[in-house]
Amino acid sequence: MDFSWSEDDVAYRREVRSFLAEHLPEGWNGYDKTDLLEYKRQAKAFCTALADRGWLTQNWPKEYGGGDASPWRAAILSEELWPIGEPRGSQYMNANWVGPAIMFAGTPEQKAYHIGRMSRGDVFWCQGFSEPDAGSDLPALRTRAVRDGDDYVINGSKIWTSHVGIADYIFLLVRTDPEAAKREGISILLFPIDTPGLQIRHIDGFVGEQAFHHLIFEDVRVPVSCRLGEENRGWPIVQRALSFERIGAAHYETARLILNDAVAKAKANGRIDDPEVQTRIGEATALIEAARLLTYKVVDLRAAGSPPTADSNLARVAQTTALQEAGMLAADIYGNASLEAGNDADIRNVLAYSVAAGATEMQLDQIASRWLELPRSK
Amino acid sequence: MELSLDQEQQQIIDAIDRIVERAGGTAHHLAVVAGGGFDTALYDELTQAGFLGLALDLSPLEATLAAERLAYLGAYLPFPATALVYPMVTGRGADGPVALAPVQDGAVFRYGAQATHILVDGGEEALLLGPVEGDVLPVDNDNAGTPLSRLAPGAIGRAKALGAGSGDRLRQWWRIAIAAEAAGTVRGALKLTARYLSDRIQFGRPLATFQTLQHRMSHIAVQGEGAYWLAMQAAARPDNPADAAIAATRAIMAARLAFRETHQMHGAMGFTREYPLHLFSMKLPALQQELGGGTAHARAATQLRWAA
Repeated sequence: MDFSWSEDDVAYRREVRSFLAEHLPEGWNGYDKTDLLEYKRQAKAFCTALADRGWLTQNWPKEYGGGDASPWRAAILSEELWPIGEPRGSQYMNANWVGPAIMFAGTPEQKAYHIGRMSRGDVFWCQGFSEPDAGSDLPALRTRAVRDGDDYVINGSKIWTSHVGIADYIFLLVRTDPEAAKREGISILLFPIDTPGLQIRHIDGFVGEQAFHHLIFEDVRVPVSCRLGEENRGWPIVQRALSFERIGAAHYETARLILNDAVAKAKANGRIDDPEVQTRIGEATALIEAARLLTYKVVDLRAAGSPPTADSNLARVAQTTALQEAGMLAADIYGNASLEAGNDADIRNVLAYSVAAGATEMQLDQIASRWLELPRSK
Repeated sequence: MELSLDQEQQQIIDAIDRIVERAGGTAHHLAVVAGGGFDTALYDELTQAGFLGLALDLSPLEATLAAERLAYLGAYLPFPATALVYPMVTGRGADGPVALAPVQDGAVFRYGAQATHILVDGGEEALLLGPVEGDVLPVDNDNAGTPLSRLAPGAIGRAKALGAGSGDRLRQWWRIAIAAEAAGTVRGALKLTARYLSDRIQFGRPLATFQTLQHRMSHIAVQGEGAYWLAMQAAARPDNPADAAIAATRAIMAARLAFRETHQMHGAMGFTREYPLHLFSMKLPALQQELGGGTAHARAATQLRWAA
């Protein structure tokens, strides 16, 4: 057991910070997503620069254009990028799970086509998972893909999809066998977002621009060669992908930044002298640092080559709890000013993270069955 | 960064498991608690096997791992104070059981009557008292376990001050000891409760199949595991004194939750002396009071981490 960073890791973090100073304006804290073309251009330029530096997909194997780097490096990169507004746009997903899923289950042709594009920073993906009647109960998804010769014809809809506005490709879950058990009739299709028949509706929300979309599929025709993995065997691939997604974003660092700003404010407005405020800051700090270590445990397991475990569910719950506590505490410290535009984003945005990437209740289910080994609910 | 146990650390854990099992496991612990709450046989065995020297012979991390494990197994002895806090504060091993006491007149603390050394939080300096007859007054308590006492008026006057910086050092290692013992106790209570809920049939099915109970159990797991890792980090990085306060803060938050929830989920069975939940749960109220309790740890975390 060793809680210190290696010299290499310390040096790497320093290099990342100087890279960011070179490639982002001072004080940058996220893209303006109202102009999608400009947002995409900037995010792509950043990802290309990151790829040129060998860091965009550094955790991938060398044979796939990666650097065989330790998962710790990807974790450090996430800690540095995520809390300031994630300059990779949705390409963080490429590195964390879309690429690894294709490496895991893709055909040689799919790997040849997609992996290089991702490792160069050329493409953005979105994930077509949730549906109007399949949210937490994701295996209940009903979007149908029916074989027609060498094609699948897709009908149905996806909802709450993020990053669609800049996406080039979609990682879509479809039902290919409506007669099979829920988890056994699901397949994965990978295809361009501008495929005819796919309509996109932006849904206005209050947890960040471009957070939600409704995708409607009307006789969308894609070749069978778009399928990832075997027909009706998509669910295990998704489960594996989600285990990476759960801790792919360093929410504890976002929480730390929120708390950092709140403490500075408390020092300035005198609220820091309030014993109750001090207690809450200490408790929020403890939640954040516990989330950090539970996440590090997952990274450590991954570094050791372990298959996904319920550690990622523990880490996810700890992360979202810490993030929300930090947001709520910050609001209390800011007081009335927290209601003003510009100050209120943290509070609204932190709410969404216990819903995204598997709601907290789903994580708790997993902890109960896989960590505590309790018998499953009826 | 390497978060798995190394071979030596795993051997320590395995050896403690064997020693406790050989001593008689849960039945033995129940007898110990019924007999006053200090497992002298286990204390002697751990002493002879060299476990009390872990902090100085290997590192404080190994002593902290051992302290957490003993708490996880439901053992009753002042191991954290003796094997971790005393050596890290004084720089030498203890030659008898150690108790940790607040300086306030009349304040209650654990294991005072059994201790050959008492470390007192004297503010700037830690104080060391080798108690003589009459220095320690027993305190009646009916909380099913930990022996409690208080210092007699004037006893502090016979204590020796340990020098500049010793007060901070004592509070740092005391908080790590609290975190380790609380984390182990919470994890032990959770394991016992998981077994109970899986075995107990009500409404025609195991209680553990009710999602409302599963989620509450999972929350305890998240808190207990977080406390465990924070305790280990604090022991491994003594140059970061905020780590100790942060670990104790999380551990006491977890302890509050586990104390209430594991009893609630056990129903009446949990309140009996024949069932072992109290081995874990009743250790928590005393732990929650040490060094000012969770509120004091949290405020210390704020002051140390945020220079506030």
